[in-house]
Amino acid sequence: MNPIPALKFVSRVAFQNIVRNRGIALASVLTITLTLLGAGMAVVVVHALDGVLQTEESQASVLKVFMADHVSFASEMNLEQTLEHQPSVARATFENKDQAAQQAGSSLGLGQAINLLEKSGAGNPLPASINFHLRNIKAVSELNGEVRTSAILDTGPHPTDYNADVIPRLERYIFIAQLGGGLVVAVVGAVALVIITISVRTAAYVRRREIEIMKLVGATDWFVRWPFILEGVIVGVLSALVASLILVIAGLGFGGGHSLALGIGWRFAALTVLALIVAGGALGSVGSFVGVRRSLAA
Amino acid sequence: MSITTSPPLPITKAGTVGSTELSRSEPPIIVFEKVTKVYASGQAAIQDASFTVRPRDFVFVVGASGAGKSTVIRLLIREERATHGHVLVEGQDLARLKHRHLPRLRRKMGIVFQDFKLLPNLTVEQNVAFAIQVTDPGRPHLKEKVGEALYIVGLEDKLNSFPTQLSGGEQQRVAIARALVHRPRIFLADEPTGNLDPDAGWGIVQLLQQINHRGATVVMATHNREVVDLCRRRVLAIEDGRIVRDEAEGAYLRDGDAIL
Repeated sequence: MNPIPALKFVSRVAFQNIVRNRGIALASVLTITLTLLGAGMAVVVVHALDGVLQTEESQASVLKVFMADHVSFASEMNLEQTLEHQPSVARATFENKDQAAQQAGSSLGLGQAINLLEKSGAGNPLPASINFHLRNIKAVSELNGEVRTSAILDTGPHPTDYNADVIPRLERYIFIAQLGGGLVVAVVGAVALVIITISVRTAAYVRRREIEIMKLVGATDWFVRWPFILEGVIVGVLSALVASLILVIAGLGFGGGHSLALGIGWRFAALTVLALIVAGGALGSVGSFVGVRRSLAA
Repeated sequence: MSITTSPPLPITKAGTVGSTELSRSEPPIIVFEKVTKVYASGQAAIQDASFTVRPRDFVFVVGASGAGKSTVIRLLIREERATHGHVLVEGQDLARLKHRHLPRLRRKMGIVFQDFKLLPNLTVEQNVAFAIQVTDPGRPHLKEKVGEALYIVGLEDKLNSFPTQLSGGEQQRVAIARALVHRPRIFLADEPTGNLDPDAGWGIVQLLQQINHRGATVVMATHNREVVDLCRRRVLAIEDGRIVRDEAEGAYLRDGDAIL
């Protein structure tokens, strides 16, 4: 069979079907748009949440080890260099007392209090520290246990900033966000698949005589199936484009018109649109394949 | 009921091929070998039926409604499978035919039905072209082939008409033209005159005879007594799914049978 005339015929029939059954096609586009919109929103929210959690995770992946005031520079260097070569440690940075005061002043608003203490002669109360940036959040606990045995650490109640509660909580949040997002995407995907299947089954029922004649005159199953599959792909892709457009407009609206809301970048937005189009096309083709199967078996 | 003489059919360029002597020396094109068909409901539509059809034969399959005539046709196009026995077409056992090879079998056959099975939103020309477009969309000279098929059935002047603008007889001719475009070796007709008045029905039977003279084997299921009696061709009579009579130049009823 020559593929070009076949493609022409299949395309013409697919478009004719959409025009002929425009009511069903429109209903399909609307419902699939809504489901893809739900899936797109779930992806965007999970991505934004993931971004927040990743920031939290990267912050929690830094173990701040406070030094006692009397410790010599050589001892500090020794500890830093010993631990920096461990596989779980990405890098280590030293923060002296002045830098700690500056940091506390800028991020915690404690600048005035520290100034007062220094003027009163008590000096800078904040300890110097070594910040170990770890490759994996799970390694923080292990390193904390190891570093606490060192004699050069601050003798206060918190020789490191390790908080045993934070890490499991973060891990739980990340797991919930990913699971929830995955479930939403799976459910709306299944709904879209069912809608396309029903829509194509209806179209196949409307065209049952045509299918019957095609089979009687010797058309192959694939030739009967292709217009329906193309029809499903067109409906799916069209729905994805509408859903993407709504998502981008909404994102721009909430983002103030110049950038997208929730700190979503344009690259991620483009990838999401592409994923929705691929998902729409895939849903359309699979739904059509399933929808027309019964007519072919008849 | 009477049948008047219909206008002569158009003369075609192809010569006639019907030669009984030649067909006797050839292997049968259709074989039914102890065929039984039992539907899911438990109803036995065909029981232990055996017969053969030679190339270029013209066979009437006759019987009352529900006797099993249509089942014979459906078994031949493999719309149904035999429960027992074998149905062979051109030596191919249809029970062993893979599903993907079914289109090839159907393209060897022209099939027409009582209800014409035309697409109402397509013109006559488009309806006939449809059979080519869905099986061999790149076939050259599509228009000429469609024109030729419509010329054979005498509807070359109705190219742009829609089925609803045609009489029943004309609609059946369009269906025949559609079945002819693949130049089938076997032509199957399931009650082709069932929805037609006697004159139109006779016209269709004449057309099928002409197709037979052009070389195709014709199997026609019918309960139209008049056309069977007028043609005096081979008759296979079915009663309750059983072949009760097979006559070379038969009539609808056996001599002495009562008309129901």
